[in-house]
Amino acid sequence: MKKTGYGQARARSVLTKTLLVMKIWLLWLIPLGVSMAGTAHSQNLTLDLTDVTIREVLHTVESKSEYSFFYNDSFTDLDKKVSVHARNEPVRTVLDRLLAATGLTYTFMEGNLVVISPRPLPTQAVITGQVLSATDNQPLPGVNVSVKGTTQGTITNVDGRFSIAAGSTAVLVFSFIGYVPTEVPVGSQTTLNVSLAEDLTKLQEVTVVSTGYQDVDQRLFTGSVVKLEGSDVKTEGTVDVGRMLQGRAAGVSVQNVSGTFGAAPKIRVRGATSITGDNKPLWVIDGVVLEDVVNVSAEQLTTGDPNTLIGSSVAGLNADDIESITVLKDASATAMYGARAKDGVVVIKTKKGKAGKPQISYTGNFSTYLKPSYDNYNILNSVDQMSVYSELERKGLLNHSDVSRSANGGVYKKMYDVINEKYGVDDGGFELPNIASERRAFLQRYALANTDWFDVLFKNSFVQEHSLGVSSGTEASQLYFSTSYYDDNGWTIADRVRRYTANARATFKLSDKLNLGFITTGSVRDQRVPGTVSRQIDPVAGGYNRDFDINPFSYALNTSRVLTPYDANGQREYFTRNYAPFNILNETDKNYIDLGLLDLKIQGEAGYTFNKDLRYDFIGAVRYVKTTTEHSVEEGSNMAEAYRAANSQVVRQGNKFLYYNPDYPNADPVIVLPQGGFYNRTDDEMVSYYFKNQFAWNHTFNGIHQANLVIGQEIRQVDRRNAFNNGFGYQFSKGGVAFTDYRIIKQLLEGNFNYFGMGDQRERYASFYAGGTYSYKGKYVLNSTVRMDGSNRLGESTTARWLPTWNASVAWNLDTERFMEGVTLLDFLTLRAGYGLTANAGNATNASSIYRSGNTNRPYLDESESQVIIESLENSDLTWEKQYETNIGINTGMFNRITFTVDYYRRDHFDLISVIKTSGIGGEAYKAVNYADMKSHGVEIAAGATVFTRGPWSWATNAVFSYNKSRITNLRNQPRIFDLVFPDGGALEGYPVRGLFSVDFQGLNPSNGVPVFTNHDGIRSSDVYLQSLNISHLKYEGPVDPTVTGGFSNTFKYKNLSLNLFLTYQGGNKIRLNPSFQSSYSDLDAMPREFVDRWLVAGDEQYTQVPSIPDLVTLSQLGAVYPYNSYNFSSARVADGGFVRLRTVTLAYTLPSKFYGKTGLNNATVSLTGTNLWLLYADKKLYGQDPEFFTSGGVAMPVARQITASIKLSF
Amino acid sequence: MFTMKHSYSLLFVALLVVSGCSDFLSETPDNRTQLDTKQKIAELLVTAYPEGNYSMFCEAMSDNVEDNPTGTKNARNADPYFWRDATSTDQDSPENYWNACYAAIAATNHALEHIRSVPDSADYNDQKGEALVARAYAHFMLVNLFARSYDAGTARYNPGIPYVTDPEKVSFKTYTRGTVQSVYDNIERDLLAGLPLLNDDAYTKGDATGVARYHFTRAAAHAFAVRYYLFRRDYEKVIEHADQVFRNNDFVSNMRPWNSTYRTYSSTELRANYTKATEKANLLLCETSSTWASSFTGLEFSTGATRYNEMFAQSPAGGRYAFSTLYSSAGLYFIYKFREHFVRLGMNANTGYPFTIMPLLTAEEVLLSRAEAYAMLNRFHEGMADLNLWASTRIVDYNAGAHLLTYNKLYNYYQLPSTRDLIVTCALDFRRLEFLHEGMRWFDIRRHRIPVVHTTVAGDTLTLRADDPRRELQIPREAVSMGGLEPNPR
Repeated sequence: MKKTGYGQARARSVLTKTLLVMKIWLLWLIPLGVSMAGTAHSQNLTLDLTDVTIREVLHTVESKSEYSFFYNDSFTDLDKKVSVHARNEPVRTVLDRLLAATGLTYTFMEGNLVVISPRPLPTQAVITGQVLSATDNQPLPGVNVSVKGTTQGTITNVDGRFSIAAGSTAVLVFSFIGYVPTEVPVGSQTTLNVSLAEDLTKLQEVTVVSTGYQDVDQRLFTGSVVKLEGSDVKTEGTVDVGRMLQGRAAGVSVQNVSGTFGAAPKIRVRGATSITGDNKPLWVIDGVVLEDVVNVSAEQLTTGDPNTLIGSSVAGLNADDIESITVLKDASATAMYGARAKDGVVVIKTKKGKAGKPQISYTGNFSTYLKPSYDNYNILNSVDQMSVYSELERKGLLNHSDVSRSANGGVYKKMYDVINEKYGVDDGGFELPNIASERRAFLQRYALANTDWFDVLFKNSFVQEHSLGVSSGTEASQLYFSTSYYDDNGWTIADRVRRYTANARATFKLSDKLNLGFITTGSVRDQRVPGTVSRQIDPVAGGYNRDFDINPFSYALNTSRVLTPYDANGQREYFTRNYAPFNILNETDKNYIDLGLLDLKIQGEAGYTFNKDLRYDFIGAVRYVKTTTEHSVEEGSNMAEAYRAANSQVVRQGNKFLYYNPDYPNADPVIVLPQGGFYNRTDDEMVSYYFKNQFAWNHTFNGIHQANLVIGQEIRQVDRRNAFNNGFGYQFSKGGVAFTDYRIIKQLLEGNFNYFGMGDQRERYASFYAGGTYSYKGKYVLNSTVRMDGSNRLGESTTARWLPTWNASVAWNLDTERFMEGVTLLDFLTLRAGYGLTANAGNATNASSIYRSGNTNRPYLDESESQVIIESLENSDLTWEKQYETNIGINTGMFNRITFTVDYYRRDHFDLISVIKTSGIGGEAYKAVNYADMKSHGVEIAAGATVFTRGPWSWATNAVFSYNKSRITNLRNQPRIFDLVFPDGGALEGYPVRGLFSVDFQGLNPSNGVPVFTNHDGIRSSDVYLQSLNISHLKYEGPVDPTVTGGFSNTFKYKNLSLNLFLTYQGGNKIRLNPSFQSSYSDLDAMPREFVDRWLVAGDEQYTQVPSIPDLVTLSQLGAVYPYNSYNFSSARVADGGFVRLRTVTLAYTLPSKFYGKTGLNNATVSLTGTNLWLLYADKKLYGQDPEFFTSGGVAMPVARQITASIKLSF
Repeated sequence: MFTMKHSYSLLFVALLVVSGCSDFLSETPDNRTQLDTKQKIAELLVTAYPEGNYSMFCEAMSDNVEDNPTGTKNARNADPYFWRDATSTDQDSPENYWNACYAAIAATNHALEHIRSVPDSADYNDQKGEALVARAYAHFMLVNLFARSYDAGTARYNPGIPYVTDPEKVSFKTYTRGTVQSVYDNIERDLLAGLPLLNDDAYTKGDATGVARYHFTRAAAHAFAVRYYLFRRDYEKVIEHADQVFRNNDFVSNMRPWNSTYRTYSSTELRANYTKATEKANLLLCETSSTWASSFTGLEFSTGATRYNEMFAQSPAGGRYAFSTLYSSAGLYFIYKFREHFVRLGMNANTGYPFTIMPLLTAEEVLLSRAEAYAMLNRFHEGMADLNLWASTRIVDYNAGAHLLTYNKLYNYYQLPSTRDLIVTCALDFRRLEFLHEGMRWFDIRRHRIPVVHTTVAGDTLTLRADDPRRELQIPREAVSMGGLEPNPR
């Protein structure tokens, strides 16, 4: 609607202007022909008129005298109000006075005819030029250029260029918010290059908002946005750009769910917008959408699976290349991204070359991760742990026969094995006689071991990062080149990373009209992480499991401190896992994953300026990413040896890694990996293409009406391929010769697995958009955008494919109003309001039926068939997930030292995909349907202030606060108890998008210390059926996502020394404590310190909530009931998620320039940064468990405490 | 002005591009497959058989089971024992079987829709035949679990189950139950239309890689027809179809060799072989997503000493039954018929999906159905001959002299006045033994309106009367709330 309005308005004004020009021509003809006849006149006038128009004055004169006036009726000056007082004065004098303040003049003609005509202008020439910022020599777009004393004016384009007609006597005025207005006399010049100095008294809000489609003056921007300079965000020692945003931007919550290199943090802009979707913001770098290499949803980030390390493409970005980061938050800001913008957009601009002599900058970071320590975690020491074991032994839970036959075992199993198997060499006796005193002596060594697993598995690592950038250029071409090297030799003994990046950017100005740009970026990563397999959910007992987990952090937390890595002789000591010998040092040596990643992007840009108003831009980019994940399991590792553990019939029957051959139903399972280990390889490949064509039209009418129109089209194509190949019997020690037993393949195939496979994903998007902005004198701004997106994501159906989105928004720069002129304490004040529709394609692709080929699940290979299954019925109603958003915001600055931005928003999410249980009659019992609705709202506040400046001292502060709350208003799902009690929560109508629920803990059973709950039927019982659909007796704890997040930064400066303290905080969410309780424990388990308070005798239940270690009698009574698992999911195991963390402390010193001498240095800064040093506040129940980190094993590690020394030089 | 013109021309270009986009956007987003060849239609029909299992609840509702307090407790086993509406919707629950049947029906309907759309439909006759018969089968099983048994007098009034003949294409759709009569008529129409089109060679010859025993062969389709007409009490047709199952009516060599080969099997061999495709008695096999294979030997409500004695202690023919039964410490008696096929989630995972291979139609069922049909048509000699044929392969050291069933033996054993009742009762008893753990007994209890008494260790006695409304499983909750169906009375 709005767009058509604009079109009509413009057409009309152009038309009237044309007519006006024609009339003036006519007028010019008359004076030329008759001016020779001009004579003197002497008639005098007496007038006394107040506040009338000139037109009226002329009418009065006409009526009072013999003069007739001839003028063009459309001269606007005629409507100017004037007061004329004349007492018997000549007409000429009166007219002189009357027309002095106008652009009109008069000529006397024959017969008392007076022609009023425009004052002849001095000869005008077209002046062109460029406006640059004096600070960094960058072009300034949007600068107001006007001819002094007239209404004539224009605005500079994206490259800071302008052209304006002005006479030689004219003076051009360049004004731009945040810069000192500059006046330049034209003289004889036709080219004027001006550089504007920043107005230091008005530091704030000078910004240009880069949406990725356009650069807009912040005063004319109607959306909600956070703009951060690269230099402000950059945290030395932190590699991931996403992490740097934590606490910096209002409305952006960043949770470091894993600290491993490459693992993206969980980033949410204004909270979650989808129940089943990814909820990840869109990343846009230099105008091109950054696609993820593999799709890892926000929920998957917490799994610790290896693909979380390659999912995020941001990890390949060198933070030193970043010029600025803009986070687009509301529908008005993200409108240009239409149906992919529901989760917000993070726009990154990288650095460009600058004209001038080459500038070289170098940044070097040298940091170390501090080893974790048991002081921060509540794990029993070895003496306490051994006393728990002896309780287990007393209760019959570590008896000789069971333990010596079990798959996993620690010191007790070892003791029994020694008793059973080892004979003394000399006296022929047993090495360890089975006598109580001898056994005690054997265990004594372990009881006193108190192994510090953190010390064994972690190191104070050394990380170095070097980044070198060169910028150079002339007027016609600019170059920027940078390269960086990152080397982390590993916080643990099982990981290390190297990363190389290169970035080359060139911009060429081929003519005044045509410019070209090229960007080539590449990064290479080489990373080693501990060997791991994907985790699985066990819905029966409740919990996740991951076989062969050797994550050092999990290992240190979950392994008894009684165990020792080395035996008395200093040799590696092995205990038993999966019936095979296990030593963590040996395992990390022989079971590892190597990740290789190559990421290359080539981008081309072209711009053509038709005239001062119209411009065409093209961007095209190709990106190619290849990752290889090689999981090597060498012979001698526990994972390989477990396939060869078959030394007794008990082991053969119990070992699930042996092969039961259905062809010989009576035979024991046999070894099918006689030699070698595994070489499992996964290749992920992504090729993406992006093309954009855009026309932008900018025009200012009469210096008052500023209009801007953008119309464009873009295409995106993403092809992903995942291929895997599992190699069995690869002999690492024999030059890599494979020795494969055919039966292991047969075993796999009979188990319905394949040893290799490949899958493709193809995404196609085509979009068309148009947007317009109108501003009146920079006071009132109207903006509207419409966009049409098409995608293949929803499936083959052509009807569901297209979606239009739109928005409308306004801004009012209150400070420019006349009535505000007196308010001097206010620097600026802008009110904004916007409303619009954004969307995302949800996680359903069945706009037409989805058929998948597969194989039948049958036990015998010769009875197996290929089949085509209907994965999903056609859903002709399928559509995108959408939301309407209303945003109201204020930006203000006061006293030249305080800035303040507040935003309030309300979101109506609808057509969200929800999995719904259907009648089943159509053949699909659970369908993904656009059914769910959700509402959310929030407040964001960002405040900055220079608190204090006196002489060399200054103190600046910056605070960010965000609040977000969501409620699912419609969701017809049927969760089981199990779906809601997990650490990452579940979705339920009436609750937040992810709510944490608990089994309601009711105390301990006084007779045996077993926990009792309000169970699924509402009865007090130890028996909770976690798969029950009756969830009405669960206790709601709170949201899993924090409702409040923010940061608080303070910078103190004294001369060249500065100290920055940066705190981050979050709150309002609940955390499930690590699952430490089990029905039965082995002599491997490490227990948290709560176990000291455990129930021991009747009566303890009045004082403690920590359940007992059940004895055999209790266990047999429990049968198939899992109260201890339920306890892990109970209200007793929930902590508050709020925390305040000292995120970084930075002390920096800039060397005074007198030291630079002849070195050529411009600037030299050294700094020391401490990251994550102190958790100021967290719930005591956490006992050191990181409130951000999900202990999920695999490749996940918490964010380390880190100290970084950094040096920055520029020449 | 030119901007306006540009806008129009841009719009025009945009329109052109939009139409060009349709190809660009038609790219499939992943490795999904298209139904573009006959082979793929055939492969779609591999899933036209219900991958759910009715044995757990059918057994627990029947008189094959009793309360064994030390057995494993499980709602999917306990609810049906007390004829309560199911609280579980997991594998082996009535709702799961409902969903599995309709999923199978959806496969047939998608195949049939595709066949209707191709120009050379006749070329697809093999597939059309299979789809029609499979569609009839799944509906037949549903109507016999969720609606009243067929009775010519009331079938016209009793609600049936939705007979679905078109793919569902919208997010929510409502259905109507029709009547038992209309469902039965639809089944017959599909069965009779499909049966002549079936071609056994289509499953194995040419480029087909199928296993015929997992599909409706002609023999399997006739066996299904035998069941259909037996339940419909059209006995002439039972005999007519039963006679077409095996060439020369050779049942002996097609039945399970219980008193010969099976006697030599160890328990692990028996469970490896019982559900194999090479076992000739298995006319139709199906892999079901079910924990039945691992649970039927240990559940609380399963066959214990009392029921075992009731069934196996004596035979009307005399002699000892050759079924090899095992005994568990929980007091359960079972025949080791099934072996669990466990498909793990990952190569090294402990969790995964359990499958149980079930024989859906067998040679024995055809034989015993025919015996019943003969009796109902007063062709008693032929009925007796079928019963004797069965006994000859089920009695240890069978000796016709000692073990031949006679009217007299039957009369002495059952003490029933009519010859027809004697033969029918004997056939039902044989069926009860033969199909133990396979759920068939429940269908016989329904159609013969046999009362069932369940007792508990606590001393309660529950009776399911001949006309008890709980003989019909309750329609699943969402089928009522979302599907718009009438629930069964309670």
